[in-house]
Amino acid sequence: MEKARISLYQLFVLILLFELGSAILVPLAIEAKQDSWLSILFGMAGGLFLFWIHYRLFLYYPELSPPEYMQKLLGKIAGNLLAFCYIILFIYLAARVLRDFGEMLLTFAYLETPLFMVNALLMLVIIYAVSKGIEVVARTGELFFVSIYLLAITGFILIVFSGLIDVNNLKPILEEGIFPVIKVFYTQTLFFPFGEVIVFTMIFPYVTKRKKVIKVGLFAIGLSGINLAITMAINIGVLGVDLTSRSQFPLLSTIQSIQVAEFLERLDVFFMIATVISIYFKVSIYFYAAVASTAIIFKIKEPSKLTYPMGLIVLFMSVTIASSYAEHLKEGLEFVTRYLHPFLLILFPLLLLGIAFFKNRKRSTQPSP
Amino acid sequence: MTMSLFSLSKKMKKLKLQKKQTQQTGHPQPVKAIHSALQDQIDYIKEKTGNSTDVNIRKLQLGDGIGPNVAVVFIEGIADSKAINDFIIESTMNHRTVHNSRPLFEILLEDVVALGDVKEITDWENLFLSLMSGESIILVDGSHKALSASTRGGEQRSIQEPSSQVTVRGPRDGFTESIRTNTALIRRRIQNPNLWMENMKIGSVTKTDVSIMYIKGIAKEDIVQEVRNRLKSIEIDSILESGYIEQFIEDEALTTFPTLYHTERPDMVAGNLLEGRVAIVVNGTPFVLIAPAVFIQFFQSVEDYYGRADIATALRFLRILIFFISIIAPAAYIAITTFHQEMIPTQLLIAIAAQRETVPFPALVEALIMEVSFEILREAGVRMPRAVGSAISIVGALVIGQAAVQAGIVSPAMVIVVAITAIANFATPAFAVAISSRLIRFGFMFAAATFGFYGIILGVIILAVHLCSLRSFGVPYLTPMAPLIVENLGDTIVRLPLWAQKKRPRLFSSELENRVGENQKPQPPKSKGMVNSIIEKGDQDEN
Repeated sequence: MEKARISLYQLFVLILLFELGSAILVPLAIEAKQDSWLSILFGMAGGLFLFWIHYRLFLYYPELSPPEYMQKLLGKIAGNLLAFCYIILFIYLAARVLRDFGEMLLTFAYLETPLFMVNALLMLVIIYAVSKGIEVVARTGELFFVSIYLLAITGFILIVFSGLIDVNNLKPILEEGIFPVIKVFYTQTLFFPFGEVIVFTMIFPYVTKRKKVIKVGLFAIGLSGINLAITMAINIGVLGVDLTSRSQFPLLSTIQSIQVAEFLERLDVFFMIATVISIYFKVSIYFYAAVASTAIIFKIKEPSKLTYPMGLIVLFMSVTIASSYAEHLKEGLEFVTRYLHPFLLILFPLLLLGIAFFKNRKRSTQPSP
Repeated sequence: MTMSLFSLSKKMKKLKLQKKQTQQTGHPQPVKAIHSALQDQIDYIKEKTGNSTDVNIRKLQLGDGIGPNVAVVFIEGIADSKAINDFIIESTMNHRTVHNSRPLFEILLEDVVALGDVKEITDWENLFLSLMSGESIILVDGSHKALSASTRGGEQRSIQEPSSQVTVRGPRDGFTESIRTNTALIRRRIQNPNLWMENMKIGSVTKTDVSIMYIKGIAKEDIVQEVRNRLKSIEIDSILESGYIEQFIEDEALTTFPTLYHTERPDMVAGNLLEGRVAIVVNGTPFVLIAPAVFIQFFQSVEDYYGRADIATALRFLRILIFFISIIAPAAYIAITTFHQEMIPTQLLIAIAAQRETVPFPALVEALIMEVSFEILREAGVRMPRAVGSAISIVGALVIGQAAVQAGIVSPAMVIVVAITAIANFATPAFAVAISSRLIRFGFMFAAATFGFYGIILGVIILAVHLCSLRSFGVPYLTPMAPLIVENLGDTIVRLPLWAQKKRPRLFSSELENRVGENQKPQPPKSKGMVNSIIEKGDQDEN
């Protein structure tokens, strides 16, 4: 582990930027149609619970990072194996987010640029940032957080003033009952984006005031959930359910429909600014978690030296995991949320918490010599 | 045979050890004591200074003796000859009665030399050091000691208005090349015994005087210690300007951004000392270094604190905007004209396209031509003798303004962009940041030419990561924005009124107690009666 200190505010900013990351771009929970915002809020509630699990685990071993306490709980071999699974998960998810982003950039701005080039440039920036350490990533987060929120508020005001929102698009609420909403909750929004908060277990040990991690984390997840729900509601309000579900990037379509005072139109570039910055943080945090865990498992003293080789792995993976964007999306829905996320994001942390509970209870009941 | 070889290697080791020890002490020769005979002393000085003509040696006679028994040595030009004449030479000559009971040396020290700072010197090294710094040396026949009297002086530039940081409102004095004048200018502003100063000499050949100044109790002790350590570890032959020192003590060498602040204004130094920073004053330059420096400092002017707070805040926003314009403006023009034409209104797009019709180059080449020719013009303007300066502006204005457009090399829109960028660059208050944005701009232009706005955004992220990774004497460069320190935000992009800025910067001042008292916000007069009485009186007077 490197020597670093993360303040509570920095943790808050990182969680928020991470959660918004790619989730704000895609048609999140659109299977629930006009009730998608409700599904997102359910997901957020689940995310709060998951965060509580991670926090309880962290409290048992506040000085240790996840790979280290996994070794303590499961034994050396099984612990390392599980930690290694998480490294692969983090690398894979970083590559997925990078792919999402590259595809988006190609579809709306750089039609004839190869995917590899677009991804490579962003990955180089991320490698540079992560090699400087988590403190630097956190500080850039503080810088960009304000600018992203200013952009978002400006965009919101512009959408409202151009009179695009049609509230009727959001009606009727719960047209087919609550079940479709709940189904989307446990197949999608619980994992993406809220379950992914598990990466922050790698950052907890750096936080200065440990007792307040839970408050800040819950607040950040809550705020991000509300932001996502509002964004999705606006998307559906502006575009309608039909158009939103067929659009690859509904937020982009929403922003493109802004027309104010004859000259404030075609604001794609502002969307691009927000996207690049938020994706940068999401990939950076995944990538940092992967690099830091690798350094701990393989006992490498300078994690920054791992960034270049591992960055190349993420880059090549992002180009090669799927042959087309459609395949990429299908993989995400049918493989990742069915076979990866339920186990790694929910089951294993619960299992670890259970083991930690019993181990520590035994220890505390033993008479101390 | 084997035994002898073994013993030989042992001897060699011993020799090496001895060598190492002599190297470590740093003084291979022992310090030479001063000869006792006057003529020997004089001869030695002459030999050591190569009979230089500016070394004046004046032999004098103290008391009623036969022949000279005292000599005054000083260097013409850097010593104050009037003080030497009046208080050393004249008083020595007038002192005729000598009691034999006291040695000459004591008489000189206690009765004759009428100067404030007089020291005893026992070895040659110190003697030459003080001689070369402008002090006069008094040699005494038959003594192994010499006296040095502080007569530093000679011709110096007088205190003038600083030329690099001009203000409309504010004090008009600027630093000079003399270290004593400079430290005095600072001390005059902070009349407090807690303003501490430490001296050292840096440069094995030049022996330049360097002073560290800080306010004891406000400056953080570990930062002062860090400054001290870094200065002490400098090994170089010469220090000709504070920039020499800056290059040795900065935290990060591979950056275009300055991590130390330099200024010509004593009021600026005083303000920074009061915030807990450390000033490094170097002899021979009017530029004083301030450490630690943070990024936002380079966008502040002393005038911000003298004027109204709301106006200062607006100006600071403008300066941040200026910084971004001077970095991004040409890059944004390139990105828009090559990749994102849909961003500009159609009529303007048609106009620009029409202008660019005759231009045979891509936007990047066009921009590079203009930017490089402007940089040439600016460099020429700085280095040219004053007399030919106006010729440059005429040629520059004609060539860049009109002829380039008429010749179809660049488009008028490009000229506008370059002109705005150039003016924005001049408006940045700190030259050190302005010059680094000049360089970064070219990187952004290439990024924009290859990837449009995507390239620019990536450039901005890299710039942010780089700035976040910088530190100045351990203090993160972007404090108090990243890491965020809310109580210190009052003096960053916004400038709160002085009565609302209660805390000193948290990361580099040890005393965090309030700078201003409670309830310092100006209140309207409490008793309405007073106001009324003034108004009534005024009315009566008019009648």
